[in-house]
This record gives sequence, structure tokens and C-alpha cells, in this order.
Amino acid sequence: MTEAPDEELMLAYRGGDARAFETLYRRHRARLFRFVLRSIKVRALAEELYQEVWMRVIEARATYRPSARFTTWLYTIAHNRLVDHWRRGGLSLVSLDDHDAPSSMPDPAHHAEAREALARFAGALERLPPAQREVFLLHEEAGLTVPEIAAATGSNEEAAKSRLRYAMAKLKAALDDG
Amino acid sequence: MAEELDPKISRRYRELGAEEPSRELDQAILAAAYRAADRPHAPLVAPAGRHRWYFALGAAAILVLAVAITVQVDKQPDPEALPPLAASAPSNRVDNFSSQAEKENKRQVEPSRPLADAGPPPVRERRKAPPQQTAPAVSPPPEVQNTPAAAPATPAPPQADSRDLSSGAAGMLGRQEQGRKSREAAPAAPTPEATTKPQAKVQESRAVASIAAPLSPEQLLERIAELRKEGRHEEADKALAELRQRYPDYRISDEMLKKVERPK
Repeated sequence: MTEAPDEELMLAYRGGDARAFETLYRRHRARLFRFVLRSIKVRALAEELYQEVWMRVIEARATYRPSARFTTWLYTIAHNRLVDHWRRGGLSLVSLDDHDAPSSMPDPAHHAEAREALARFAGALERLPPAQREVFLLHEEAGLTVPEIAAATGSNEEAAKSRLRYAMAKLKAALDDG
Repeated sequence: MAEELDPKISRRYRELGAEEPSRELDQAILAAAYRAADRPHAPLVAPAGRHRWYFALGAAAILVLAVAITVQVDKQPDPEALPPLAASAPSNRVDNFSSQAEKENKRQVEPSRPLADAGPPPVRERRKAPPQQTAPAVSPPPEVQNTPAAAPATPAPPQADSRDLSSGAAGMLGRQEQGRKSREAAPAAPTPEATTKPQAKVQESRAVASIAAPLSPEQLLERIAELRKEGRHEEADKALAELRQRYPDYRISDEMLKKVERPK
């Protein structure tokens, strides 16, 4: 069972096999958590949203259809939860793309060089517009392809690709600054 | 994709750390998953929890429908006593579909009697098929007389549901577990004769399906928007929460979101 594909596990869970869910959960927990955490930055809030995502998975098991990869489905749910979170904060989907977020990272000037470079990178990631950061995280953490990212975020492939390119360029610039 | 890949960026990203959820969080989620696995999740069979409201609504609608049919059947004069042109009067067009259903039942009773043991006996089975039609402008095709299965007095949602799925909402409805279960539970596919039923019969089935079948996300959203318009925000909030739980991967458009979210 531990080698079974995600989709098979989810179908088994839909059929009442809770151990299948446990396998699935352990497979995705860390990456999904980091995706959420780095999307919204505040751990307590991230834990709340992370739990909500899994609860939605549990509640929606009856409607699950393996028409796409489970990972895409899972991160679509996570994306929807994040969008709800951002909307509550007064951000529209457009603004998610437009505005670089202010960084709450401490000034890295007093850190050692290695830590300074890492902090600079972390700062650059944090300052990415949410939509670009999300696409980058979906790419890095979830391992989604551009078409899958487009599907998960409800955008077209061109937009997803463009966001990823912008995100990469900004992060690369942060690396090169060092 | 290749142009976006940058190993340096990936490597640096990995250096940021490997945060994980706490053990307590893991346990809470897994416990919820195990609890949920013990519960049935076919609300049409066992409506429970937060899904209750539209099952209650559906059940109530079916009940009203059944009562309406019964009342119509009781009120209906003997078809043989009706004047021949009575049925072609335009007022019959606006007759509700309960009446149509009842008339359809009557039409199907005679020829199907030998096969009727497959389903519940129709109401007023003793009546002869009336010469008049519910769709007055069109004479009934002869196939109607040969419909093999007797239509039950209470409409059969699964069959209607599967027929309804062939219409516009099929995509979304097809995703629904209840719909799937209903289709699985549905009687065998209709015979060629049954597929040539008159339009009125199909419309009747769709009307029944719209009551009995679970609502698609689009239908739910329309209903929530109506609730908002009527100022029934508590109900709308609950319905919206229900929708989001039931269809977590369904994306509500910004335009629709304005209609269904509580105004600030």
C-alpha cells in the first residue's frame, strides 16, 4: 500500500480505508505544510490553514475523482484556501500579482556571510507577489509542472509560466547580489 | 519548463529549512480522517451533519410532489367521462408536471401491466389510458403505448437523474458521489421504446431530477445568490460554507463571489 499511487490511495480512502489516507498524508504532509507556511509566513496561521486543507480533503473524499494527479487536486484545495485567506485580508487576485509584499525579515547585515545570503534569498522569496510566490512554491515544493500549476491556480499556462519566470528572475537577482 | 529551472535557486531554497507540521497537528488530522472513514459518506442514503439542509429540502420537495400527485389523482375525473377536446384546451398546458406525471402513469399502465411486477404498482392502475394528452398540440407517438415499465406513482429519482445528467449540468453533477450512486442504483438502461417518450415525459423527469438530484456547485451558487438577494444571510453563509466543504477544489469566480459572499 505504501507504494501505491496517490490516486489509488485516495480512492481506497474514499472506500473507507483510513490507512490509505495515513499513507497519503505522510507522503504529502511536509511539502504541503511548507507550501502553506511560506505562502503566508505566520506559523500559527499556516497550521490552521494546513489543517483546513486536509479537512477539506477528508470531507470531499466522496467527490474525489482521479481525473488529474492527486497532487494537483490537493494543491488546488490549498490554493483555494489561500485565496480565501487573502481575500479576507482585502487582497484581490489582481493585487496578488501586482504588489511586492513588504518584508518582515530582519536586516541581514549583521549575519555572517552565508546566513546573510540565505536571509537575502528568504527575503526575496518573502517579497515576491503572492501569486508569483505561490507559483514558485508549487513548482519547488509540490513539483507541479506549468500546466499543473495553471490547473491548480485556475490560470492559463502562459500566466503561470510568466509568473514563474518573474519569480525565478527575482530570486536569481537576490542570489547574484551576494 | 526547462528555461525556468535553476538548480542554484532550488538548492538555496532547500537551504531555507524543512519545516514540518507538529506532531499534534498530524495526530489531529489523522484522527479526523479515521473518524470520517468510519462514517458513511453517501448523504442520499444517510443525510447527516452539515449536508442536512439540502437533503431536507429535497426530501420536503419530494414529499410535496407525492402529495400533489395524490391530490391530482383524486381530483382527476374519470378520463372516459371527459369530453374529447378537453385535453387540447390550452389551460392544460400550464398544468403542473405532477398532473402530467400522473397522466403519464395512466398512459403507461395498460400496456405495461404484464411487466409491472418489476416496480411498485402505479396509482390508479385500474384506469384506462385517456385519449387526451398533456401536450395537447401533439398526438402521443405510438411508442408511448408500448412503454414497457410501469411508471411508479412516486417518481423514481435515480432514473430521472441519469437522464438529467445527459443535459447541461452533467459535467459538475457527474462529479458528485450521490449522482454516481444514484446512477449505479438506477434501473437498467431504457429500452428503445422508452427513449422515444414524448417531450413531456422527459421534462417531467428533469423536473423530478432537479428536485431529487443533489445540486451542482453552480446551482448551489445560484441559490446562495438568491438567498443573499433576499437578505437571508445566515442561510447563505451556511450554504456557502457547505459548498466550500463539499467542493473544495471548485473555484468560485470573482463575479460570482461578489454575489454569494456576505456584503461588507
